[in-house]
Amino acid sequence: MSALLALLAGGPVAGAAALPPLARPLIMGVALAYLGLIVAISVWASRRTKTASDFFVAGEGIGLVALTVASVSTSVSGFAFIGGPGLLYSVGLGALFLSLSASVTNVMGAWVLAKRMRLLGEVRPMLTVPDAIGARYRSPAAQGLAAVAILVGVIGYMATNALAMGVVLDAIFGVGLVPGVWIGMGITLAYSVAGGILAGIYNDVLQGTLMAVSSVLVFAVVLQLGGGLGGHSRAILAADPQFLGPFGKMAPLQALSLFFVFGVGSLGQPAAIHKYYMLRDPRQLRWYPLLKTVGLVLVLLLFFGVGVSVKALVASGQLEPLARNDDATPTFLLRFTPTLLAALVFSGVAAATMSITNSFMNIGAAAITHDLPRALGRTVRDPLRTGRWATVAISLVAIAVATLSRSMVAFLGIFGYGLFASTLVPALAIGLNWQGATRAGAIASIATGLVVTLACETLAFAKVIAIPAGVSVAGLSLALSTLVFFGVSALTRHTAAASLDDDIRLVMES
Amino acid sequence: MGLTPAPDRGTTAASPVAAGARVAIVAATACNLVAYASAFVPGGAPRWAAWLFAMSTVALMTAIIVLGAARGRGGIGPLAVPVAIMATLLAGGFAAALALPPVTADSPLWLGLPPAAAAVIYGIGLLPILVLPVAYARTFDALTLTDDDLARVREAGARHRAARGDAPRGGDA
Repeated sequence: MSALLALLAGGPVAGAAALPPLARPLIMGVALAYLGLIVAISVWASRRTKTASDFFVAGEGIGLVALTVASVSTSVSGFAFIGGPGLLYSVGLGALFLSLSASVTNVMGAWVLAKRMRLLGEVRPMLTVPDAIGARYRSPAAQGLAAVAILVGVIGYMATNALAMGVVLDAIFGVGLVPGVWIGMGITLAYSVAGGILAGIYNDVLQGTLMAVSSVLVFAVVLQLGGGLGGHSRAILAADPQFLGPFGKMAPLQALSLFFVFGVGSLGQPAAIHKYYMLRDPRQLRWYPLLKTVGLVLVLLLFFGVGVSVKALVASGQLEPLARNDDATPTFLLRFTPTLLAALVFSGVAAATMSITNSFMNIGAAAITHDLPRALGRTVRDPLRTGRWATVAISLVAIAVATLSRSMVAFLGIFGYGLFASTLVPALAIGLNWQGATRAGAIASIATGLVVTLACETLAFAKVIAIPAGVSVAGLSLALSTLVFFGVSALTRHTAAASLDDDIRLVMES
Repeated sequence: MGLTPAPDRGTTAASPVAAGARVAIVAATACNLVAYASAFVPGGAPRWAAWLFAMSTVALMTAIIVLGAARGRGGIGPLAVPVAIMATLLAGGFAAALALPPVTADSPLWLGLPPAAAAVIYGIGLLPILVLPVAYARTFDALTLTDDDLARVREAGARHRAARGDAPRGGDA
């Protein structure tokens, strides 16, 4: 299970298939054109970034379509294009339990979090997700603890995506892995520092559009090959029926655990929920869940289509078995799609890793310059300038981790999603919908998520403990932190009213 | 701070529907832990553990949605139908996945997939999209965010900023 979570965080770490010499010029040309667009958007955004609010929440001025496409882009990362199809090729349809819950999670998030977080931005100056926790419980300690959890998870995500960028850029330009890491992170850092989240959002729009268009086109190719989905299924059933079982080759509890962690845990992912603050008009939330869900389905078509198609092609003898699972997408693209489409997808993978990295640069910098000082009772004098320096600092740490220690990358990449889920879902998602929740309950819950996740993942990584098949540390930690949240809040319920300001109560009742 | 009181919808704290949702969240989460615990016994997780985990996860997600959508004593009103449809789709999809016979080389295909896989992918992964997000959009003005709600919150925000000397919205923090 942990390996699956690492795949999600890490994306295309295992590397892409070597590009054929004839395809390389076109693929390089598309990638360079794409990088040129990023530079243009970043220059434009940097001229509009004048305050910390601009830098961290885009001045609360993003429209619905831009916010939706950007949110789709950061939600899927490079995993949807490389790691996902590879995982599906390896374990069968059980891999889809990672993304099946998307049909429900966006509307769940809209009801539970989107409106309340957006309205919090109407009554308080909100820059970060921990800001919402601090305001909800009148607690700098809860805000600081949430920031620590976010910072730990952010470093892991950034390091794994930095490594992924290095792999992709090396595959396209042949620059070598470590230079690829520096080039990819340098580009992302440049537009993040210059234009903050505003540059990130509009680059995400470009990246998300690219991902959706290329995913749909690749899926169309999949349907034309081998007699469509039915033809692929017949080929697979003849060779490996278990692959097309509802859980594939996974144990039912293992697949269901993925659904639980990625379904409920979606309410605690800062890169997605942080964007609720940015919407220009809260009434635009009406169409947000529908648009985002449709966008996600389009982007995930490649995940499903390539995974099934490559398996069918191997089963019918039209393709040799893959040396590495992560070769599924590159092999399919280079063998069965026009080179231009392959170039778009390769650029889309680079785009996806930059997109998620930019979001985490911004969130990590905000934790350092805003949340932690606030928890310690200090104020940063120039938040915009400090935010830019913090972005550089956190990026250098991620690059150091990515280039110096593969095992550290693998370890950190394991628990980011689960850490965010277990520390933020109870205190934030439930806490914003329950006036009986208390400050003590929130702090105990965040601490439980942090300690259980770090302790269990560390001990499992070091092989001191063995986690049985079907159990995920992320799921275990999320369940425990939820029960601790309710239990401690019940024990301290006499303090609930003192944890809630009038304006926050009004937001919760609206 | 002298805020204008919320209208007759009451508070989420007073809502029996929200209270029921919270009880369901605790119970479903505890069931998930029991299912996880069963995997630690020798021989691995028994078959009932997957059933328990599947149904408690459906209950958990449904309860979270109800908690978020509940508005005072009116509960979730007309949203009860789409939420119930969603819960039925998820529970039915999982039940089909767990109960239908294993896939074989000559399994029939439903829309290109064996029945159990089709129930999961189409029933859980796609059909809820046609129900919940549409219901959310259609009831948004009446049940999620009214103009009155927004005006009251903005009024409170203006007072809060004035009282604390905060920068105006969109300014530097």
